[in-house]
Amino acid sequence: MRRTLDTGNAAITEGAILAGCSLFAGYPITPATEIAENMSRRLPQVGGYYVQAEDELTALHICIGGSLGGLKTMTATSGPGFILYADPLGWALGSEIPLVVVNAQRVGPVSGITGAPGQGEFYMSRYPTQGGNYETIVLAPNSVQEAFSITVEAFYLAERFRMPVIILADQLVTDGWESLSIPETPAELEAMRLKVIPRRVKEGPEFYPCTDAIDIPPVVLGHNTGAACSDWTPTPEGYDTEEVDFQHQHAYRLIYKVRNNKDLITRYESYFMDDNPELILVAYGSPSRVVVSAVKQAREKGWKVGALRLISLWPFPDEIFKVPAKYLSVELNYDGQLVREVQRAMPAGSEVHFFGKCGELPTVAELEELMQALLAGKGIKARNWEWEAW
Amino acid sequence: MARRTEVLVSGFGGQGVVRIGQTLSTAAVYQGLHTTMLVSHGTETRGGYVRTQVVMSPENIDSPVVENPAYFVALSKAAYHRFIDLVKVGTVIYDPAYVEPDQSRPIKQVPLAARDTAVQELGRELYANAVVLGAMARMMAGLVDKENILKAMLERIPRFHAENKKAFELGYALVAKE
Amino acid sequence: MDYLATKYLRPRKIPSTACSGCGLGQAHKKVVMAIDELGLATGDVIWGTGIGCAGRQTFNTWKGDNFAGTHGRAYAIATGLRIALPPDKKIIMTVGDGDAFGIGFLHLLNCARRNVDMTVIVLDNLGYQSTGGQYGWTTPRGYRTDSSPYGMYEPNWTQDGRDVLNILREAGATFLARYTSLQGQEAVEAIKKAILNKGFSLVHMPYPCVTNFAERALGTRKPVEIYKWFMEHTCSMHEKGPADFAFRTGIYYDASNSRPEFAELVKGWVADIQRRYS
Repeated sequence: MRRTLDTGNAAITEGAILAGCSLFAGYPITPATEIAENMSRRLPQVGGYYVQAEDELTALHICIGGSLGGLKTMTATSGPGFILYADPLGWALGSEIPLVVVNAQRVGPVSGITGAPGQGEFYMSRYPTQGGNYETIVLAPNSVQEAFSITVEAFYLAERFRMPVIILADQLVTDGWESLSIPETPAELEAMRLKVIPRRVKEGPEFYPCTDAIDIPPVVLGHNTGAACSDWTPTPEGYDTEEVDFQHQHAYRLIYKVRNNKDLITRYESYFMDDNPELILVAYGSPSRVVVSAVKQAREKGWKVGALRLISLWPFPDEIFKVPAKYLSVELNYDGQLVREVQRAMPAGSEVHFFGKCGELPTVAELEELMQALLAGKGIKARNWEWEAW
Repeated sequence: MARRTEVLVSGFGGQGVVRIGQTLSTAAVYQGLHTTMLVSHGTETRGGYVRTQVVMSPENIDSPVVENPAYFVALSKAAYHRFIDLVKVGTVIYDPAYVEPDQSRPIKQVPLAARDTAVQELGRELYANAVVLGAMARMMAGLVDKENILKAMLERIPRFHAENKKAFELGYALVAKE
Repeated sequence: MDYLATKYLRPRKIPSTACSGCGLGQAHKKVVMAIDELGLATGDVIWGTGIGCAGRQTFNTWKGDNFAGTHGRAYAIATGLRIALPPDKKIIMTVGDGDAFGIGFLHLLNCARRNVDMTVIVLDNLGYQSTGGQYGWTTPRGYRTDSSPYGMYEPNWTQDGRDVLNILREAGATFLARYTSLQGQEAVEAIKKAILNKGFSLVHMPYPCVTNFAERALGTRKPVEIYKWFMEHTCSMHEKGPADFAFRTGIYYDASNSRPEFAELVKGWVADIQRRYS
C-alpha cells in the first residue's frame, strides 16, 4: 500500500490507471485540469496515451473511438465542458460504449466561479443528452480516497454495463488534499473490495442482443466481425432503421440493463438511521462531509437526527428513503436539485426542506442552527439561500 | 492531542499559502494523523486571495471545513479581516508587514515578521513561507513534531533547501512555544 | 457494381435507398473500386460515416466493421480509433459536405494538423439535401435552395479565391484531391493514393443531387440536366474554368508519407518515455 497526501485529481488519475485506462483525452478546465495534467504525466509511464483535444466534444469522441478500438478510456471536465459532452455522451449511451466521464462540478451557470465547488449538474448527469430512452450510472465521491476507489469502480461498472459511467465530483473533492492509500498488490486491491475487468477485445458480438442482461463483452471494431455502431435507431443487426418497434427494443435494452441490475450500482451510507430519526439530512459529495460532522455532534446533544449520504446518484436510490421524517437536503446550489428527488422518494407523512449554498461548504454551525429549528417544529429562518417548506 | 485541530492560512497569491497548507498536512500524515486540506482561490491566476483550510485529527475527519481554527495565519490585510471572526479560542499569527491587527479582540494575536525576516536575513521574500512554517513548528509542538514539518517542507518545496532550512529555523526562533 | 458488391458490400443495403438518378452510387462505387484495386480485404478496412445523404446511404454497407459518428464528429471518433487500432488497418470515411466543411470543420482541421491516418471522402451534394435542400458551404453563389430562395448570398468555401483544400493543406493534410463523381478512373486512382498515404487524406467529390439541388437550382429533376451542368462546370486544377463557378479537379496536393502520422507519433513518444523512465 502506498500512502501519500494528494488531491482528488491525483486519486482519480491513479484509480483510472489501476483500472487499466490507457487513453485519456481532455481539454483544460478548472478545476479538472489537474486530472489531464496528471494523466499526461502518468499514462506514458504505463504505456498509455494522452491526447489534448481541441474541445470537449472532441475529447469525448476520441474516448469513444479509443473504446471502440478496444482501449479503456476516460475524460474529465467541469460544468462548462460537460455541456459539450451532450453530443458524444448521447452516442456513447446509445451505442453502449464503455468509458468513464468525470465532472468536477464548479459554480454555475456558465463559467460562474471557476475554482469553487458547486452541485449544479445533478439532473444534467441523469439527462446528459437529448432524446431520453436511457438510464445513466452516476457516482459521487466525497473524499480523496473515495475518488480513487470510485474511479476504479466506474471502470468496472462501465465494462459490466457496456456504457459510459459518470463520476460526479465537485471542486473540493478534486482539488482538496487528503491522505490517500493506493493498493499495490492484488491482495491489497481485494482488501479494498475493488475489482478490475480487463477489456474483452475479441469476445464481443457484432451487435448487442436485445436484452437487459449485463456482462456482455463490448463491441470492438477492427476484427472484421461486421460490427456496426451508429447514432441511429438500430435493427437487431445494427442497420439504421426508422421502425418504432426496433426503437422500442433499443430503448428497452438501454433502460432495463440498468434498472434491472440496480442493486449492483446502488451505494450509500446511513448514519444513526436505526431508531427512526425525526430529522434526516441528505447529501452527496463534499457537503456530505459537513452533514456527517453535524449529525454526529447533534447526536452527542441527544438530538434524534440521522443522515443519508448518497454515493450512487443515478439510478436514484428511492428504496433507501423508508422512514417517514423531516428531510433536509443539503446541496451546493441555490435552486434545489437533489431535494426534488428526495421529495419524490420520501414516504408518506414526511416533509422536506432544503438548504443550499454555492461556492463554499455549509458549516456545522449553520446546520446545527437549521436542525434545531426543524426539530423544534419551526420553519427555517428565511435567508436568501434557504427555502422554507420547499 | 486534541481530537481535532484546525489551521487556517490565508494571504494573497504568490505568498506560498498553498505550500504552507500542503506542508502542514503532509507533516500530519508523517505524524500518523488523518488530515484534510482545502484550497480556495479567488481567481485562476496569481494575485487573488488564497486560503487553505487544514484539519488534522487522530480520528477520521468528516467535515474538512475550518470553523474554529486553533491557528489562523493571516498574511494579508484582506485575509485577516475576512476570516478573523472565525477565531474564538485559537491563536492568530499575523505578518505585521501586511496586517494591522484589531487589538480590541479578546484573543491571542502573535506578530510574526516573516516577510522582513526573509528579506533581511536571506535577501528574498520568497522564503517568508518557510519562516512561517518554522514558527508554526514551534507553536504546534506537541501536535506535530518539528522534524515532521521540516521533512514535509523540504518535500513540498523542492528548491533552495539550504535557504529554506535557514528561514525555517529563523521562524522557529521568532516565536514562543504555545 | 455487382462483382464488387458481392465481394465487399452487404446485400441488405444494396441497392441503396438513394433517389433515382442520385450521383452518390457512382461516388460510392469509386471508393469500393479503389479498395478492390489495392487488393484490400473487408478486414483491412473500418468504414466510418457521418450523417445526411452521404452518411446514411453508405453506413453499414461495408461487409467489415462500420461506424457512423455524430454529425461532424466522425473524425474525432476516428482519431481515438486510430490510436487503438493496429497501424495496418485502414479507416475510410464517406461523409457529406455539411458534415466535413460545416459542423465538423474544426475536427477535420485538427485531424489534418495531427496528420491522423484516415481517408476522408467528402461526398458533396452542394448543400443540405437530406433535410430537403438548404444551402451549404459549397453551394455555388447565387443558386437557389430552400433556404436561399433569392439565391445563395453567403461566401462559400469554394469560390472567390477560396478553396477548402487550400485551408486543409495549410492545416497539414498530406493528400488532397478533388474529382466529381462523373469522372472516371482518374478519380479511382486518386482515392487509391489517398488510402495509401499513411496520414490524413481527403478527396472532395462533388456529386449531382437530382431531387433537391437540381430542382431548385436548375429548375428540373431530369438527371440529364444536372449531369450536363456538372460536366460544364468541371475543369482541371490548372484551368480557370467557367466564369461563374467551377469544380477544379485533380490531385491538389500529394505529400504522402512526408510527415509523421499521429498514432505512430504518439506511440513512439510513449515508447520513448517508457524507455527513458523505466
